[in-house]
Amino acid sequence: MAVSRLPPAALSFKQFLQRQKVLGIYRDLLRTIRKIPLESNRRYLRDWAREEFKRNKSETDQDVIRMMITQANNHLEDLRKSLSLAGC
Amino acid sequence: MASRALAHCMRSVARASARLNHGNVLTRSACAPLASDQRALSVLSCGQRTRWTDLVRISGPSVHLCRHYGDLPPLTLENIKERVMYVLKLYDKINPDKLQTSSHFMKDLGLDSLDQVEIIMAMEDEFGFEIPDAEAEKLMTPEEIVQYIADKKDVYE
Repeated sequence: MAVSRLPPAALSFKQFLQRQKVLGIYRDLLRTIRKIPLESNRRYLRDWAREEFKRNKSETDQDVIRMMITQANNHLEDLRKSLSLAGC
Repeated sequence: MASRALAHCMRSVARASARLNHGNVLTRSACAPLASDQRALSVLSCGQRTRWTDLVRISGPSVHLCRHYGDLPPLTLENIKERVMYVLKLYDKINPDKLQTSSHFMKDLGLDSLDQVEIIMAMEDEFGFEIPDAEAEKLMTPEEIVQYIADKKDVYE
């Protein structure tokens, strides 16, 4: 039998929405990081974001995921505010 | 007096080069420094005219219009595919040997959705336009990415 590499089938609707949300936040984060002027800072933050998201990738508890989504949003807002204050 | 003679020499050089050689950037750029040098001796510039027209004559037949006026070179399907594959090969999580245009990111290359987001971001950077979320998450093979970009950029073949 061929080994299937498909993502886990049958996410519930809420889980599906949460997944989409997480991916959306990841994308927004990467887009905001793009605006940072220095390449070294950009790389550092990109690696940081990647690490954070990958580390918690296998989390299944919905409440914990929700908390992490809030945290990520806070980070994103902080980053946006810093960028706008710095004038980028 | 000298400046009028100089200007006359300049104009005839420009006319000669325009006649023989419409698009050759070389002669135009060669004309430019002389235009800025107001103090050049008229004798010198008129003497140079014959040398320039010789140069122009030699390179005449191989001329083609190559002015882009600040635009990028036109996209072709082949070009898009090359650039997409190049960006993918540079991505550290992809094994360049196993990569083909039909390889599915998740099924064949073993990437996950976060990697796919990163890949689409890299494509946005490469081609210079934003891909909205809804459409980005559907692009799962290099072939689909090429098709999508060709759609968006109106590349027909």
